[in-house]
Amino acid sequence: MINVLLWAPLAFGLVGLFLPRRAVGPWAVLGALVTLGVAVGMTIGFDSGDSGLQYVESTPWISGLGVDYSLALDGLNLFLVLLTAVLWTGGVAFAAFRDYERPKTFFFLMLVAETATLGSFLAQDLLLFVLFFDFMLVPFYFLFGAWGHDRTAEGGITASAATLKMIIYTLIGSLLMLVAAIATAIISADGGHITFSIQALQEQGIGLGSQRWIFWFFAAAFLVKMPAFLLHGWMPDAYRAAPLPALAVFSGVLAKVGAYGFLRIVLPLFPEATVEFQEIVLVIALASILYGSVMAFTQTNVRLIAGYSSVAQLGFITAGIFALRADGADGAVLQMVNHGLVVAPIFIIVAILLERTGTEDIREMGGMALRAPVLAALFLIVALATLAMPGSSNFIGEFYILNGLFQAKIVFAFIAITGVAMSAYYALRLYQGAMHNRKPEGLMSREIGWRDSVVLVPLVLCILALALYPQLILKRTNPSVEQTVAKVTGGSAPNSKLATKNEESGWTGYAPIGDK
Amino acid sequence: MTGTAWAWLVLLFPLLGSIVIALGYRALPQKAAGMIGTAAIGLSFACGIAALISLLGEDADARHHASSLWDYASVAGLDIKLGIYLDQLSIFMVLVVTGVSTLIHLYSYGYMQSDQGYHRFFSYLNFFVFSMLLLVLAGNFVLLIVGWAFVGFASYALISFWYRRETATRAGMKAFVINVVGDIGLVLAAFLIFRELGSFDYGTVFERAPEVFSVNEWSITAICLLLLVGAFAKSAQLPLHTWLPDAMEGPTPVSSLIHAATMVTAGVYLIARTHVLFALAPTAADISAFVGLATLLVAATIALVMTDLKRAIAYSTMSQIGYMVVGVSIGAYGAGMFHLMTHAFFKALLFMAAGSIIAAMANEQNIDRMGGFAKAMRFTSVTMLCGGLALAAFPLTSGFFSKDEILAYAGARGGMYLIFVVLGYFGAFLTAIYTFRLIFRVLQGEPCAEARELIETGHVAHEAPKNPATGEPEDTDVGFPGPEHHIAEQSAPMRVAMGVLAFLALVGGLVQVPGVDNVIANFLDPAFEGPVLSHVHPSIEWDWIGLAIGGVISLLGIWAAHWLYVANPERPRALEQRLQGLHDFLFHKWYFDEAIDLLVVRPALAIGRFANRTFERFVVDGMVTGTEETVRSAGGIVSRVQNGFVRSYALLLIAGFAGLALYFLLSSS
Amino acid sequence: MNITWYIVLSSLLFATGAVGILLRRSPMVILLCLELMLNAGNLALVAFSRMVGNEQGQVFAVIVMVIAACEVVVGLGLIVAIFRRRLPLNVDDLRELRG
Repeated sequence: MINVLLWAPLAFGLVGLFLPRRAVGPWAVLGALVTLGVAVGMTIGFDSGDSGLQYVESTPWISGLGVDYSLALDGLNLFLVLLTAVLWTGGVAFAAFRDYERPKTFFFLMLVAETATLGSFLAQDLLLFVLFFDFMLVPFYFLFGAWGHDRTAEGGITASAATLKMIIYTLIGSLLMLVAAIATAIISADGGHITFSIQALQEQGIGLGSQRWIFWFFAAAFLVKMPAFLLHGWMPDAYRAAPLPALAVFSGVLAKVGAYGFLRIVLPLFPEATVEFQEIVLVIALASILYGSVMAFTQTNVRLIAGYSSVAQLGFITAGIFALRADGADGAVLQMVNHGLVVAPIFIIVAILLERTGTEDIREMGGMALRAPVLAALFLIVALATLAMPGSSNFIGEFYILNGLFQAKIVFAFIAITGVAMSAYYALRLYQGAMHNRKPEGLMSREIGWRDSVVLVPLVLCILALALYPQLILKRTNPSVEQTVAKVTGGSAPNSKLATKNEESGWTGYAPIGDK
Repeated sequence: MTGTAWAWLVLLFPLLGSIVIALGYRALPQKAAGMIGTAAIGLSFACGIAALISLLGEDADARHHASSLWDYASVAGLDIKLGIYLDQLSIFMVLVVTGVSTLIHLYSYGYMQSDQGYHRFFSYLNFFVFSMLLLVLAGNFVLLIVGWAFVGFASYALISFWYRRETATRAGMKAFVINVVGDIGLVLAAFLIFRELGSFDYGTVFERAPEVFSVNEWSITAICLLLLVGAFAKSAQLPLHTWLPDAMEGPTPVSSLIHAATMVTAGVYLIARTHVLFALAPTAADISAFVGLATLLVAATIALVMTDLKRAIAYSTMSQIGYMVVGVSIGAYGAGMFHLMTHAFFKALLFMAAGSIIAAMANEQNIDRMGGFAKAMRFTSVTMLCGGLALAAFPLTSGFFSKDEILAYAGARGGMYLIFVVLGYFGAFLTAIYTFRLIFRVLQGEPCAEARELIETGHVAHEAPKNPATGEPEDTDVGFPGPEHHIAEQSAPMRVAMGVLAFLALVGGLVQVPGVDNVIANFLDPAFEGPVLSHVHPSIEWDWIGLAIGGVISLLGIWAAHWLYVANPERPRALEQRLQGLHDFLFHKWYFDEAIDLLVVRPALAIGRFANRTFERFVVDGMVTGTEETVRSAGGIVSRVQNGFVRSYALLLIAGFAGLALYFLLSSS
Repeated sequence: MNITWYIVLSSLLFATGAVGILLRRSPMVILLCLELMLNAGNLALVAFSRMVGNEQGQVFAVIVMVIAACEVVVGLGLIVAIFRRRLPLNVDDLRELRG
């Protein structure tokens, strides 16, 4: 079943190349729906108490190097896979309702991208993961470069230049990751049989000296993907150039592969290095939160507001992971899903606004809510979820993350929480800029059509459903998350102060209260 | 049905009302939407009564129950359920909120009739009531925070209800951001509570707190201070109060409900609910009391010079909440809650009356242009007078009994708290003055043009409305009231609502006459059993002495207002000129807005601009361009070797070959 | 057998050819010098083969001749093409292939 899940999009994409132009769009949507159906089925059949791998598929592939074709689902990637399927369905449907040039190639590339992304989530073999990670980028290179928008008229760069920038940034990281992956397998084998299986590598372990540089090589690749502060230079131009359906899935899912990589590979395989570099990574995460938020609230281009907001949100997720506590990591996984569910509708709404106003600058929009109340309502729900309004699942995710951070390194939590205030401002500013205040002359506002509703409403319903019951995700991800965190902290699961009164919280914590 | 089952119904009806109206906004006729909205809250009130009856049937000590629906987020040690907590305090708040809300919905039914956004209004209003009820019924800190934030959102949505007005959207944004700051305080407090006590649940937290903390330990003080940040942001206390006057941009029923009777009292409720924690951190409680006192005085002084009718009443609200905050901070929980209730009555009434007058003035809110409505609008004037008397604590009105009980309690505690008594009475004096300044200005004297028109023709004046702050014409499409205005005299629902509130404002205090009956205190006190403070009670004699002093001060204040503003028409202007500096300072609201703008808003935007223009361009792009340049120049150097000259290539070949040969020759020898 | 003088002759020829490549401008002459260098190499190969006593060097020399022939064909063909296009037959002026 897991093979069907992984390869169905690619299969549908290949068949789609031979269909007539009109039929490709619906066919692609069908493919995405089939994948979604399989993913939902596997979620329902998932055993929530089990912290191990489920739906395992493992066959030797390159036995000389110890590389297996092994896929599995567990608490860490279950909902990310589901998120991928959902967002891709939305993105492909959205694209299908619009006319794109060379539709056969376009949808083929979108579906190939889905397979590659699913592969990187499902892979349980290090080299397979690296392969899918790099492969993910290829279809987006073509999608952004060939169907993208040249921004030279607005003082930007052409789509191909933006794409090239993105590729170079990401590939440098990926190159480092490849070196690190091979090194991991070889050093860990220690003269014995080389294997790339993540499970096996966890058991074998690696010495601290090697862990140190391997950690940073992997971190480089993942941090570029997210993107984190200082490695985000590719983001503004790429986000401005990309076509919106591709950008919706790119921002919604691909950024999370980086965060997922930390949880799947870095924490279990390099625990000592993780503990050693915890604070440095937290500083980077904090910087991403602050910088992303600050940039978001003075930007005027809606794509960039969403882009910098993503930088900030991924900063939160990274901070949650590196709090090295089960609650922080639980929150991070939940927030990965939440953020994906929120950012894709934002880009779809950006596309809808663009069609009505002809601009992506919020200074030139305004007052659209009057003739488009349903659109305004949907946008409001999405905006509130973006700012993690309590009552939304995003709030619970952030709450867990910040709680974990607070219990682990209190100063970082205090700084991170200012990001919450800033996100309230920029999210509401985005909403108000488009929907409220005076309508500029010559702007035609109209209600959302049924085609866009079909894409947008289910996503918003998912956001609302999760808001009512975030436990849905938390319950199933917690066992695997606790297992991963336990590997790093050496078995103790530090949660409440009462449970572990003598927990060492480092120079940024405060001394525990004396015995009561 | 158990009490908690009724409590769940209390929550359900407003939520259902909001959803039904929202989904059916195209199908439902206006009247239906209004009726559904009002009925939903009315049903909620009825369920609240049922829950009260159920509670009353139990022992005074056993009147607290918790009930939860499902696990909201319960992993990794955090156990957050969707749970409510029903006890005397929460049922009291439920009844006040639903009771006053029903009346305000009734009022809005008439007042908002010609507004295009009628359905949106009622949907949001119902959602607000749901949020407020969620806040008071929440059984754990996380659900409290959810309710807190929902209330903040509803407030934002209703403040910026006429969303084509720049002033309204900006005010909404301001309110929301300050609210988020308060939220952050609450969230941090929750984290600290979890760290020390291991749970978010009220029952567990309040049980464990006295065991884990010793008095005035810095951690419990920190928790309480963070809770205060949240409370002050919501209740518009210094220094997080700047959003409240701007919130008057919303329609008047909104000001009446949210910014007088309910939302702004959430902070008071919070302090009362977490009294166990505050009892362990007396320093924090004292800080809270002093902030309340300061707000009380500052707001009263500003209300003295405000010329916008609604803003003046808003500052009055801020001041009265200062009293409530003082009350619950010094341990007078019953008295503080009692004042909350009476204040809800007379303040909501005052806003309703103000709405009626503003409608008559075709949305002009400046009291300097008003006058003589006593003759033009009888009903409105009478009810406004009732509200004003209660606010000024005129003897035997509800405000009289509630306000002075707080001060009597402070006196009974003695020592440092006598400051509260003295300054509290001074504040009461100022309250009476500014209240009657408004009443005399608006109701008395020569009828202004609009009033005359009303007397003569019975019509309400109307012209194309303009935003007084910016001068731009209003966009009546979005629902800003167009040509039609609704005043109480012409609208039965409005009269019913105002009449009930006027009655309550006058008579409501009689449930808590010292020495005679003690309904509220008897009901609420068991909820506050335990900590030291509840054993402090003013004696009945002191109560009556305090009441007498309060009554005298109130009468003095009314006389002073008359002397200052009515007796000699020139006196106000002369005073203003003599005390020009003071007047300016007060008129600019003690320059708080300017200070916050300077200290917070401008630096934040400057950092944002710096990031955008300088940092992003030079540092980040610089890293990229720098690398690019290095690679390019390195490539440039290398490419100079490829110059196309065959002979140079040949030279390189031969030189290289010769070098190699030499190397091998030498190394082998 | 003493082959010293053969090697000296070979290196003189090689040096002459090398200098000619570096100093002459006409492609034709450069080709001739190239031939000179190749044949110098051939001479050295044959001399060594004689010294060692087996035929490997001579076989190698024949192969070199074959390669020289092929290379001359290509070179002359290039020169004819350049001549036909009326481009200057001057190696300094033919420099379009540069980086």
